[in-house]
Order: sequence, then C-alpha cells, then structure tokens
Amino acid sequence: MRDLWLVAKYTFQDLVKRKSFIISNIIIFLIMIIAFNVPNIINKIQGDDESFGKTKLAIIDEDNVYEGSLKQLEQLDIGYEIEIMENTALEEVKEKINEEELDEAIRITKGENGIHIEYIVKSMSMMSEVPQELITILQDTYKNLQISKLQITPQQLNIINMPFEMEVSQTEEKEVGGNILAMLLLSIVLFYAIYFYAYQVSTSITIEKTSKIIETLVTSTSPRTIVLGKTLGIGIAGIMQTVALVVVAIICANAFLTPEMVSMVLDMSNITWVLAVLTIVYYILGYSLFALLYALTGSTVAKPEDIQSANGPVAILAVIGFYLSYFTMMNPTSSLNSFAAIFPISSPFCMPFRVMMGIATPSEIAISLVILIITIAIIAKVSIKIYSSAILNYGSRMSLKDMIKVYKNKND
Amino acid sequence: MALEKQPPFVCYFGILKKDEGQITWNGKEVQRKHVNFGYLPEERGIYPKTKIYDQLMYFAKLKGMKQKEADEAINYWLKKLEIEQYKDMTAEKLSKGNQQKIQFITAVVHNPELLVLDEPFSGLDPVNTELLRNIIMDLVKDGKYIIMSAHQMSVVEEFCTDILILNKGKTVLQGNLTEIKNSYPANKLEIITKENIQDRIKEANLSILMQKENEYEIKINTEEEAQQLLNKLVANKVKIDKFEIKKPSLHDIFIEKVGE
Repeated sequence: MRDLWLVAKYTFQDLVKRKSFIISNIIIFLIMIIAFNVPNIINKIQGDDESFGKTKLAIIDEDNVYEGSLKQLEQLDIGYEIEIMENTALEEVKEKINEEELDEAIRITKGENGIHIEYIVKSMSMMSEVPQELITILQDTYKNLQISKLQITPQQLNIINMPFEMEVSQTEEKEVGGNILAMLLLSIVLFYAIYFYAYQVSTSITIEKTSKIIETLVTSTSPRTIVLGKTLGIGIAGIMQTVALVVVAIICANAFLTPEMVSMVLDMSNITWVLAVLTIVYYILGYSLFALLYALTGSTVAKPEDIQSANGPVAILAVIGFYLSYFTMMNPTSSLNSFAAIFPISSPFCMPFRVMMGIATPSEIAISLVILIITIAIIAKVSIKIYSSAILNYGSRMSLKDMIKVYKNKND
Repeated sequence: MALEKQPPFVCYFGILKKDEGQITWNGKEVQRKHVNFGYLPEERGIYPKTKIYDQLMYFAKLKGMKQKEADEAINYWLKKLEIEQYKDMTAEKLSKGNQQKIQFITAVVHNPELLVLDEPFSGLDPVNTELLRNIIMDLVKDGKYIIMSAHQMSVVEEFCTDILILNKGKTVLQGNLTEIKNSYPANKLEIITKENIQDRIKEANLSILMQKENEYEIKINTEEEAQQLLNKLVANKVKIDKFEIKKPSLHDIFIEKVGE
C-alpha cells in the first residue's frame, strides 16, 4: 500500500512538473478567460461608436407605394442606419455604394403582380439574398399602412393578429429535460478528459520501458503496484486539472458574463448533486477502464515509435464508445441509448447524460455501474499479468497472439 | 521472444515463474520479499527528465527506507562515487558513465545483503572502472554477497570466488574458481627477450603459439619442458626480460568448455 502511494505520488509529480504540462495549462486558462470575455469585447467595441456595425441603407420609393410612411423607419433601432431618399436618381445611389458612402440600397417600384423590391449591394458575393429582417419590416410597414386606411378598430386588429401559443407534448411517460448543448458539452468534456489522461498512462509506461528503467523498478516493487500506482497518480492529476478547469470556468462565468448569457448555454436547474456525484464517479471509472487498457498496450511497446500503432485498438474502442453515446443522445429514449448507458466502453460517456435528462432509473444506474466495475476488475487483472511479462520483452512489439500466449502461461 | 535471453535473475526476482528447482537463502526456500537484495540490470536506464536526487529518493523509498535515512544514504553514495555535484541535475544531462553510477546507487542505497550485478563494468572508462572495483571490493569485505554476471573473464577472475558458466541455459562449469584453475595444468610459456630465440625453441621441440616482436607464447605440456628451455637459454647467455609459466586463464577454460 505504501509502495502504491509512492508510485502514484512519483507519477503525479513527474507529470505536473513537466514544462509541457504547465505551459499547456496556462494556455488553456488564458484561452478560457479570453473566450468568456468575447461578448464583453464585442460590446466594448460597439459601445464606443453607436453607428459602428450598422449598415447604411438607402430606400428609394420611386412609385410612392408607401405614401411617405417609410419615413418612420429612420427612427427605428434595428442595426440599419436607414435613409429615405426622395428625388434621387438610381445612378447616383449606385455610385455612392461603389464609393462606399452607402452599404446597400432598396428600390421600391410597382410591379406587374405586386410590389417589386430591388436590393442593391456592391457585390453579390457578399450578400446574395434580401435579409429576412428587411422583408419583414417592409411587409409590416405596408400592411400597417393599408390597415390604417381601412379604419379597423383595435379590437378588430387584435382578432386578425391573434397570437399563437405553441407547445409540444409527447405520448411516452418519461419526460426529457435538459438541453442538448449542455449534454454535448458534458459528454465531450468527459471523453477528452478520460481519453487524454488514460493515454498518459500508456506514455508513462512506455517511457519507463524504452529508457530501460523498468528493470530497476520491477525489482524494487511489484508489477501490480506499478500499474495501479501509475493509474492512480495520473488519475489524481487528471481530476485536479479537470476541477481546476471547471473552477476557472465558473469564476469566469460569474465575473465576465451576465446570468442571462449563462442560462442561454446551460440550464443550471438540471445540474443537481446526484448528477455531479455520478458524473465524477463515471469519470473516475471511465478513466480507470481506459487507463488500464492503455497500460496493457503501453507495456507491449519496445520502441517509442511503436506507441501509436500499439495504442490504436484502444483509441478505436474509446471512439466507438463515445460515438455510440453521442449519436444516440439525439434520441435518448431509444433502446440503443439505453444499451450505450450499460455497455462498459460507452457508459461513462452516456450515463451522466441520461441522468441529466432525468430518464435514467436507479436500477439502470446500478446495473451500469456494476458491469463497469466488473469490466475494470477483469481488465486490471489481465493488464497486470501481461504487463509483468511484456515489460521485459525488448524485441519487436508483441502481437495479440504473443499476449494470449503469455497470459495462458501465466495462468498455468 | 527475447524473454529467453534474460538471465535466471528474473526468476529469482519473481517476475517469471521458475520451471523447476529451488531458490534458497541461508538454507531456507525463499521468495523475493524475504531477501534484502539490490539489482544492477545490464540494461542501463534511469528517468531522463527527473532530478538525480529525486529519482534516487523514489527508489530508496520503494525499497522501504524512511526519508531521513534515505537522504543520508543517497548523499553518502553520491560522495563516494564522486558525483555529488550532479545531485540536482536531470539524468539526461549526465554522461553514460555517470548515469551508470546513479543506477549503481539504486542497487546499493538500501544496504542490501545480496547484490546482483549484471555486467557492472561494461561501458565504464578505466578511472571509473577502478572506482567501482574498489567499491565492490569494500562491499565484499563488509560481508555482502555478490552475484555478478560478466562476459569478460578477466573481470570474473578478479572478483569471484565461485563461478558458474552457462551455455544455452545449461551449466557447463561450476565451482570454486581457484580449485577449477588448479585442476588445469600449466600449458603455456611466455618469454620476452630482445634476441631472436626462434631456433632455440625449435631445437627444444616446442611449438610457438604466437609471436609478437620480441614476445613469445609457447605451448608446453609440462612445467619441466619450460625449465629445460630456460636452462638452455641461460646457458647460451640469452638476456631474458620476462619468463612466465602460465596456467590456462578463465578465458581459455571458457573457450574450451563452451566451444566443445
């Protein structure tokens, strides 16, 4: 037990003291702080100059279709600086656009079947369609003009403009909560955190093997202690870094964003203590699963250039597990998503999401956890056995056949 | 697989299971945890990016030492091996010889009863060889048991009292080194002289194994033959710088046994 802690502590210190680790963390934190400030920076720039970012738009009502009612648009605050031009030749306006005194212009004429709108821009490569916003404004203004001519009472107007209340309901009993964005975020963060740190275990083992330190190490303590100690040490570093990222994110969100902005991305009401605890549990278990698989492949590598190919199968498993949960999220009540929540390579990515949605039953969670823990125990046993033989094999990379042979020999 | 190349040490260390036989220590069958041992592997290796002191402390603690006693032992050995000044450097900055010294410390830092050295001198320059030689001699004087494997027979002859020669996993020679050497009669004569004595040797019916300038190596069957040649040379007033009757070296015995 003492040795386990020693190996874990040494591995942890070795990882966090690395220059690359420190620098990459600083960069990540800086990027986070900048990212959280993007809305503020945009506001700041726009705040200095009110007309900044507003498109200068000229409207020419040649046939007086609007009977002068367009004038009121000049007062509207809609991201356009609108100028109604009377008695101005079209050629003159086009010239102004070319010289960038104006950005765009709208020419309104009476067409054969209705009102003809010509949208004039400098180049159609920048803007090839009439913005929906302008279409709505022009239609509404025209409608209001005609309504006022008909002398309709406000009551009659209310009846015409009756607001529609939209609602979606479902026939299934389980109600789905949470929002997709938050779930995708959670699942992606879990995947990268698990995958990145599990991969470090493989790297750490391969470094020891290729630098030949391993012979001194295995005669100082048992292979089991080394594998479990490494997994533990890197796991602690992983949890600490993830916690640090979450803390920085929370601090940044509070310091730089308004609560409305936060709730647009994350519905905080979905984050409960049960979800938080279960997410951490699945993170730890998911990490353990992939870290131990990586310990197995890492120990079969003799040359650093073989790391990639040896770790390939584990990477494929992780990606399959991730996508199995990622794609079934779109249809969370499907049986495939239920399967993904129980299947050990995908459950760490999938179950926290089902818990957040409120569709995971306690028995489902229990089954998923038991299966995951049993899988980890089996993989730990196999990994340690193969590790203790493979680490002294300095020849070519071990094939699957060699590994099975070693495992059988060990069991005899 | 390369596993077969590993010396039987790995069995002893419990990394591989032994096929048969017994491992005993002080007459009792033991497992690795019962014996306080240190091991210097043939494959040289230390953590390249870790400070020397930190990694020595790690291994010392893994071997059960407490912080304070480990610190004392590490400083003692660093001083003794004349590498104190590298204590706070990372290992990758050290020369190969110095890295090897660091690894030697990992084997001895916890004051083991039994020390297993796998090719301890390979890659060391003469100065460091001498340094390590003296340290190993001191350890022997302190009553430590040392098992050493080597391919240079001169090293084995210098240090070992008991030897075992393995060829393709089978024992070909085993026993006390002095007894083994005594069981082989003298078979060579070395003479160094500035004069040409080729004809004299032929007259005595002896054959020259090797001649290098004024150095002769002559095959003899008995020591008597050598004495007769010496008498003849003295009678002819040949000036002799060196005259030595040689027993076969361990190198020769090895070639004879393994070459069979």
